[in-house]
Amino acid sequence: MLNKLALSGIKHRMRDYSVLFSGLIIASAIFYMFMSLATNSSFLNANSPAAATSFIYGFGAVLLAIITIVYINYANGFLLSMRQKEYGMFMMLGAKSSKISRMIFVETFTIGAIATLIGTVIGIVATGFVSQLIIKSLDMQVKHFNSFYVPALLSTFAFFIVIFIFSALKNSISLRLTKVLTLLHMDSQPVRIKKNKFLKAFQVILGIVFLAIGYTAIIMMGHNPVLIYLGVPVALFTIVIGTYFMINAVITTVITALKKNKKFAQKGLNNFTLSQLSFRISDYTKILSMVSIMFALALGAITVGMGFQNQISTVVNGQAYYDVTVNNINDAQQERIDKLNVKEETTYAYKFKDDTIYYQSDEFEKVPFKYQKFNMKSMVGETASTKKPKDDASYELLNNNLPRYRTAKVEMVDKNKFDTINAKANSLTLVKTDSFKQNLTQIKKINQAEQKRFPELKQAGASKYDSYLLINGFFSGLEFMGLFLGIAFLAMLASCLMFKILSGASSDVKRYNMLYKIGTRTKVLRSNINKEIAVLFAVPAGLGIIHVLIGLQMFSKILIKPYMNIEIPFGIFIVLYLGYYFVTRYLYKKIVLK
Amino acid sequence: MQKIVEVKNIEKIYGKADEKQYKALSDVNFDVEPGEFVGIMGASGSGKTTLLNILSTLDTPTSGQVQISGQDITKLNTNEMADFRANKIGFIFQDFNLLENLTAYENIALPLALQNTSSKKIDPAVMSISKKLGLTDILNHYPTELSGGQKQRVAAARALVHDPSIVFGDEPTGALDSKSARALLDTMSKINHEDNVSILLVTHDPFSASYCDRIIFIKDGEIGQELKKEDHTRGEFYQEILDSLGTFAD
Repeated sequence: MLNKLALSGIKHRMRDYSVLFSGLIIASAIFYMFMSLATNSSFLNANSPAAATSFIYGFGAVLLAIITIVYINYANGFLLSMRQKEYGMFMMLGAKSSKISRMIFVETFTIGAIATLIGTVIGIVATGFVSQLIIKSLDMQVKHFNSFYVPALLSTFAFFIVIFIFSALKNSISLRLTKVLTLLHMDSQPVRIKKNKFLKAFQVILGIVFLAIGYTAIIMMGHNPVLIYLGVPVALFTIVIGTYFMINAVITTVITALKKNKKFAQKGLNNFTLSQLSFRISDYTKILSMVSIMFALALGAITVGMGFQNQISTVVNGQAYYDVTVNNINDAQQERIDKLNVKEETTYAYKFKDDTIYYQSDEFEKVPFKYQKFNMKSMVGETASTKKPKDDASYELLNNNLPRYRTAKVEMVDKNKFDTINAKANSLTLVKTDSFKQNLTQIKKINQAEQKRFPELKQAGASKYDSYLLINGFFSGLEFMGLFLGIAFLAMLASCLMFKILSGASSDVKRYNMLYKIGTRTKVLRSNINKEIAVLFAVPAGLGIIHVLIGLQMFSKILIKPYMNIEIPFGIFIVLYLGYYFVTRYLYKKIVLK
Repeated sequence: MQKIVEVKNIEKIYGKADEKQYKALSDVNFDVEPGEFVGIMGASGSGKTTLLNILSTLDTPTSGQVQISGQDITKLNTNEMADFRANKIGFIFQDFNLLENLTAYENIALPLALQNTSSKKIDPAVMSISKKLGLTDILNHYPTELSGGQKQRVAAARALVHDPSIVFGDEPTGALDSKSARALLDTMSKINHEDNVSILLVTHDPFSASYCDRIIFIKDGEIGQELKKEDHTRGEFYQEILDSLGTFAD
């Protein structure tokens, strides 16, 4: 009978449960997705240029596990908050607490088990789908990647079964320890806020000190990558604590200051919003700091991943100035070149005789040869041009030519002398497009045609396209990991925050109802909710962005320009995060404004 | 003189035309004069809460007209209704309905803030009503730190701070002990007399009702008899109410 009652309770609250359920499914799907990478050592080894990757992945797995535990804890709290009133009623009607706690154990565990099962299936499908999507859209080469991977499956199951046994136990014990009356009036339990100026000031200082230590550790790691094994845990620890204090003390101080400004506070619902926030923030400190750390990790992972993507272009463009080189151009190749977005096209005549390759100096006078010069100071290649190729320039000029000439000596001669050289006159056409990446498909065709015309090119490689293939393969693995990790963390963190906010929603129903009764327009109530949730989302995002901006210093030795094109990952991330914000405020309003 | 509340032929039917219908109010007519303290009495299910909801624009009648300060409130749109509640009506609920994350002061100031009153004007208004209700010492306390009686006085201050046309009380003493209930009723009647504030009280408690000038009895959605206090003492009026309840229940 009680079981039947419990089941009908679930049916009534199907919408709330569907939020919980989908959250749990997402959690297990993400966990599986990550595990399918982390437990696949052949994938990691084949795709990472850095030996530290396994270590980084192990660290990521630990983090994800912690986050998942915290997350399930919130989801579990949400479950309990939905049910406790009902359980209180059953107990009031005479149900034994042992029976109730057994019931809630079964309920929690069943929900968890079903969610995990569905989640892993979705995880398998999603892993396959997402990885294909990423691989295709980025023209990446990822080796040894399998969406269905047994060790990942096993570890996911084991992990979630253990967690759900614990949370089921926790639920049934906490229910057993709570008085029936407390259960029945859970909503009206007062929350007291503590105010201690001295403690707050101390926390602010502590927060700043911890953040300073963490940031210093990151910058030091950036200068000396050897410190990474010590630096990462130190930075994580100090930044987590620093963030916690910052949110707890600084934000509440700001709110208190705003409340003191009567002009602002006594306008419309501002005072109510501020009070809601100050109550929330002290209650939310833990989750907000966790979310801001996760936000930083996720955004960092995506940014670094994208950084590797940018690296590809930078590194490839640093290899050679000209995107396409064609020897003794024919009509077919010219036609293909015409299809490119050509920025510059130059043809130099040359003759080869006695291990020397002769170019006409007046041609170089007219159109100087451009090449990539390596700047020892900035450690970045720069474009330079010369009328008399020497050293770097002559090396690059030779590299643009066929392999058989690459060991030759370069000599510049005037037209008269060039004409007298008794050798076959050849031509070398050099093309620079507006963007190597955007013309990639056409460049590939020209490259393949050129290899057909001169089979020796096949073995030698060294064309710009060949270097691209090599570098792309190298960085793709890293980028793939970054994107995958980033999106996984983002989904997790945003739904954590969503749950926390939604589990508080039921206690807000009364407040909003009262505000409505005393004459607040629904529009005002809505905008108030939007503002409140916006702040709760913005606080961790703001801190997280600062963490990332500083955290990128860690990669200053690995990435050539860690801050290049940073707006792209930030943009993607903020759009996704905003999506969660809109879903949360939609669901919240559905619960609160009936 | 213009009447504060004019209710004409109000009818409220729940349920759609093709479903089983339930008539919560039928042909209700009554007025409230300025400065009057009116009580509406009835058992639970008699329709008094429905009536109060309609008077306070939280619900609309199926037919009939309600005018408050000469304005027909049944023809307002949702926003106008909200503004009307904010400007013209004060509420005192049984369960206080204070926002527990705001201090007493902030709770009282809320209706003024909602009307975008400038902060310069808010402070004197809050202080003056708090003084009248004896709340000046507890203004910085949160509702959880207050007793039931104090909470209800804060709620009363919130209902009065913006000088509403009428104050609606929905069983305001329902959650109070007898001493606090008596104190609250004394305060309300004092404000009614001194400041000429119109009050409409919905209750089933004869003791609360005995503070009113006039009592309208409602039963099964219809208005029954009316009692007027006139020159009676409160004790006599209380006895009269008890007597009518006895006959009215039949």
